Amino acid sequence: MGWLPLSFGFPAILVGLLALPVIWWLLRLTPPKPQTETFPPLRILAHVVRKEETPHQSPWWLTLLRLLMAALIIFALAEPVFNAREATPASGSATAIVIDNGWASANDWEVRVATAERLIADANDAGQPVVLAFTAERANEEIGPFDAATARERLNAAEPRPVPTDRQAIYARVAQALESMPGASVAVLSDGLAAEGDETAFTTLLGNGASRLVWVTPGDLAMVGIADSENLAEAFTFTAIRPDTDALPRQAVAAAFDDRGRRIAEANLTFSAGETEAEGRFAVPFELRNDFVSIAVDGENQAASVRLLDENSRRRRVGLISQSEADAAQPLLSPLYYIRRALEPFSDLVEASSTDLAEAIPQILEQRPAMIVMADVGTLPDTARERLVEWMNQGGTLVRFAGSRMAAAGDDEELLPVRLRTGERALGGALSWTEPQPVTEFPASGPFADLAPPSEVTVSRQVLAEPTSDIVERTWANLADGTPLVTGARRGDGTLVLFHVTPEATWSSLPISGSFVEMLRRIVQLSRNQGRIDAAGDGSAGALAPYRMIAADGQLVPPGPEARPLAQGATPAVEIENPPGFYGTEEGVVAHNLLQPDATFTPIAQPQTTLPVTRAAYAFDEAVDLKGPLIAAAIALMVLDTLAVLWMGGAFARRPARKAAPSAAAGALVVALAGGLALLHASPVWAQDIQPGDEEAIAAISQTRIAYVVTGNGSIDSVSRAGLQGLSRYLIDKTALEPGDPAGVDIETDELAFYPLIYWPIDEAATMPSEAALARVDAYMREGGTVLFDTRDQYSTGFDAGSTSPSTRRLRDILASMNVPPLEPVPQDHVLTKTFFIMPDFPGRFSGSPLWVEASMDAANPDNRPVRTGDGVTPIMITANDFAGAWAIDASGAPMLPTVPSDPMQRIYAYRAGVNIMMYMLTGNYKSDQVHVPILLERLGQ
Amino acid sequence: MARIGEAAAPVAARDALARARLRASLVPDLLVEARRVVNTVIAGWHGRRKRGIGENFWQFRPYVEGETMSRIDWRRSARDDHIYVRDKEWEAAHTVWLWADPSPSMLYKSQTATVSKESRALVLTLALAELLSRSGERIAWPGLTDPFTARNGAERLASHLIHAGELPARPELLPLRRFSDIVVVSDFLDPVDETQAWLDPLARRGVRAHLIEISDPAEETFPYTGRTEFSDPETGQKLTAGRAELLSEDYRRLYTARRQSLAAWCGKLGWSYTVNHTDRLASEALVKVHMAMTADVGYGTR
Repeated sequence: MGWLPLSFGFPAILVGLLALPVIWWLLRLTPPKPQTETFPPLRILAHVVRKEETPHQSPWWLTLLRLLMAALIIFALAEPVFNAREATPASGSATAIVIDNGWASANDWEVRVATAERLIADANDAGQPVVLAFTAERANEEIGPFDAATARERLNAAEPRPVPTDRQAIYARVAQALESMPGASVAVLSDGLAAEGDETAFTTLLGNGASRLVWVTPGDLAMVGIADSENLAEAFTFTAIRPDTDALPRQAVAAAFDDRGRRIAEANLTFSAGETEAEGRFAVPFELRNDFVSIAVDGENQAASVRLLDENSRRRRVGLISQSEADAAQPLLSPLYYIRRALEPFSDLVEASSTDLAEAIPQILEQRPAMIVMADVGTLPDTARERLVEWMNQGGTLVRFAGSRMAAAGDDEELLPVRLRTGERALGGALSWTEPQPVTEFPASGPFADLAPPSEVTVSRQVLAEPTSDIVERTWANLADGTPLVTGARRGDGTLVLFHVTPEATWSSLPISGSFVEMLRRIVQLSRNQGRIDAAGDGSAGALAPYRMIAADGQLVPPGPEARPLAQGATPAVEIENPPGFYGTEEGVVAHNLLQPDATFTPIAQPQTTLPVTRAAYAFDEAVDLKGPLIAAAIALMVLDTLAVLWMGGAFARRPARKAAPSAAAGALVVALAGGLALLHASPVWAQDIQPGDEEAIAAISQTRIAYVVTGNGSIDSVSRAGLQGLSRYLIDKTALEPGDPAGVDIETDELAFYPLIYWPIDEAATMPSEAALARVDAYMREGGTVLFDTRDQYSTGFDAGSTSPSTRRLRDILASMNVPPLEPVPQDHVLTKTFFIMPDFPGRFSGSPLWVEASMDAANPDNRPVRTGDGVTPIMITANDFAGAWAIDASGAPMLPTVPSDPMQRIYAYRAGVNIMMYMLTGNYKSDQVHVPILLERLGQ
Repeated sequence: MARIGEAAAPVAARDALARARLRASLVPDLLVEARRVVNTVIAGWHGRRKRGIGENFWQFRPYVEGETMSRIDWRRSARDDHIYVRDKEWEAAHTVWLWADPSPSMLYKSQTATVSKESRALVLTLALAELLSRSGERIAWPGLTDPFTARNGAERLASHLIHAGELPARPELLPLRRFSDIVVVSDFLDPVDETQAWLDPLARRGVRAHLIEISDPAEETFPYTGRTEFSDPETGQKLTAGRAELLSEDYRRLYTARRQSLAAWCGKLGWSYTVNHTDRLASEALVKVHMAMTADVGYGTR
């Protein structure tokens, strides 16, 4: 099969194809079995059938189908392989495979692994041990020799690293390992990029008795890396490089990402033909550029196409210097106040801890700021001055503001852009005819040219520049009378700017205008950061912990186990222990980038050697075993054949009519099942939401209900219930309150919080409530509920003061475990006496017992007002008058129990007491405010 | 898959004697069935509906000179000035030959049919025998009996059939004379010219024939699909159709063409041609045949 890349495992089986004609002959003879039918009008039918051509034979296509099936099976048994791989000839005693797994191999790592796997397979076929080394791993990594299975395992475990290769060290180790195995064949699977010391490395590798070199390089190098970036005033630029073998014009898109990985800007990269460098620009606003964390070239899944940006590429550091003592004590009067407010949003402010300029200026210069703002600084100490001038000449931007000190200091050639007249000029004022001057259009030559002039700004004092020949080009802003307001000049690589007014609003209104912010912003954009600072902040030579690493595919990932802290100091190398990425902490990071600004991509050269060289390219193993697909096709044909035979037998034509009824029934069944399932499915959805006791809770809170404690004594409980019913009816008659049915609560189990008032008749015969129940009642009282204790023993107590009834003793026992506030009988001016009816006392079935409530001790009533003031509602009431007995009515509404003495008015008073208590419970001390209404109305003159 | 049609008897197709025995065993039941059918169709004697020798009044007509005076009905003539003659309805015993096809193809019965073709043919024959016997006609089975008149004609015919044994495939038509009727019950599946050939002597002799074609619905609708082997119950010949549903249209056309040409031929001769499907009621055909027999077709008017 020269014309087809096809080979067979057992070509002899193909002889079986000769049997096909026999099969064809057999198939022609055996038609499918027909149905037999008796049919009397056969002679009529015979006329018709004669027209049909092949009554007794299989149709030709069925025969063809079956022949094809047989042919497929014969082919499948011959085990054909498509694109069979040619083995690399093996020689020597061992095979050494050296694979570059640096960043440049990340893009097509699978192909490299496949290629290496083939080499391992060939070595395995030849029975050779395999030495397997990766050039971007640690130098002390184990390299073998391995047997094929181990080598394959290690190969599959290996992965590309985001670091450059270290061929020298690894090749030396391989050479060392090959010393004991002379005549080994060496396979170099390179990433195609030259590195330093390649020649030495190859000499070491091949000079040690190797018998053969297999040289595998990628066909074309098409990687793009970002070598450098710079945050300029108007745009963020970066430099991309590519290998010089890639000479065609090329377009690429780079994108900038913020700290959450969001794509916030895009830029185009255009490599002209034959050029290896291209420049990209992100022309986006300054604030957005400050958010850049990384830039990456789209479609390049390798580490060199990603460049990380740390603080040094982003926000400008601005040093602030002032001589004013007021800074710390009165920040609003500090000359730096407006500057600070203006600069804070888009730059990092650096301030010195000392006001002594000799210390402050070096301190600030250590931070390598892009810009220094000096507010009204006169003369500088010499040492500080020298360093400041040097910094400025190297690219710093110095912004100075005028002020009385500077005006007094006089002219200073080095640190002032223009020559100043001594003293200052006052415009307006008592002794002047001049008016404060507004600012005119910004000169077109200056950096403020495109800003809107601040028409509302007026300047009343300024320092004046001497008119010189170059004053116009140095003027960045003018007053209406032509005198310069802002002047600037280049000094070396740096810029010197002078505002002729003070940075606070004393000389002019400029610092409090929006233009001030715009102008400072523009100057900040012009400035450049001067060198990098330590992210650690303390300036010590300590190491920075790895924070976020660039993975081999260019993604930012948490650091792996191999990453070591980055040593400070001289530029650290990018190696396996210091992979590219961010080092530092969340507060501050330093970017450690793979490519240096001067990096280039040089293709690797094949080493000069006398050994036989086999060149190869990376490729996948494309051998395809065709046995499975062929058998699958044969099975598919078999299914087709079965269907065709069934169809010819009429299986499908008669089925619909006969099966219609069952299928309709089945359809109905399916519908019914689905409906049933839907119903079954619907019910649990309801069940999720229901908690036990919900119904009781809803009943308890949908109406205001008065509760009573179920004592367990039937007669007491029925009287309590009837009493609360009677009170409810009275409340409905007399007030707007319409309580629901009284609720009997078991203090051991029931939720109490639903009820505003709980009536608790003390039954000395009942068992003592448990601690837990009393704790619950206590909690209820503390959280705003009220318990009305009724001992019902007004007339059963002895006459002497010390005697107590059993009910009272029981009440004392109960209260002993609660936090009972101090009590007092209801005073005459208590709000309880006035909440609905005016009630001097609170009789029940008995009269005479006081109603005890919480003592309002701190509630003063100095003015003898009708009611004492005081907050809160008493949590506890105690009476012995048997309220429920007086309130109790039977089903017909008649009182159940007589009052003692039998006085109809006493019952009415008892009801009124109940009404007052309920109103007190529900309205609280609001009634004590209401009693002031007449006086308020009187004062309003009504 | 269940077959659509089958021969009603599980006996050897050519064993005519066995078939005859089977037929004999069927006859008593069929006789009962025939009587039931007759009762639904007819109750009573119908005259010839033309004047002739008889006992019943047919019409008064004006006296024509030359007629015998004895025929004048004086009673009627006394009412007015005209003289009338009383005509009597013609009553004459009529010979009706009955024959049902005994060939094996008549044993066929498909799933949709209620009875086999032979059953239906015998039921119709016996019902006609009963019907005609009651009306006093002479009935006969060609080759089996001579014409006879009996009130229990159907029973006698049935007893003849029971004892007949093997019946010839075609009736003996020699005894048939002019002015007699013959009822031929068959499926008429032979080619039309063959059928016409053996019926032609009847036409030439002036016998009025009534053909009743018994047809099975499966034969008419041809509901077969798929690869099917058809076998002829008479000859045993086999035919295999690759896809039977493709043949159905052509077959139906031929089948109905045969029927139409036979019917047209009968119409030309003044004969009646009735089709009875075995999934329909026997009485339908009986009514039609009876109507055809009692209709005055007028011999010689063709």
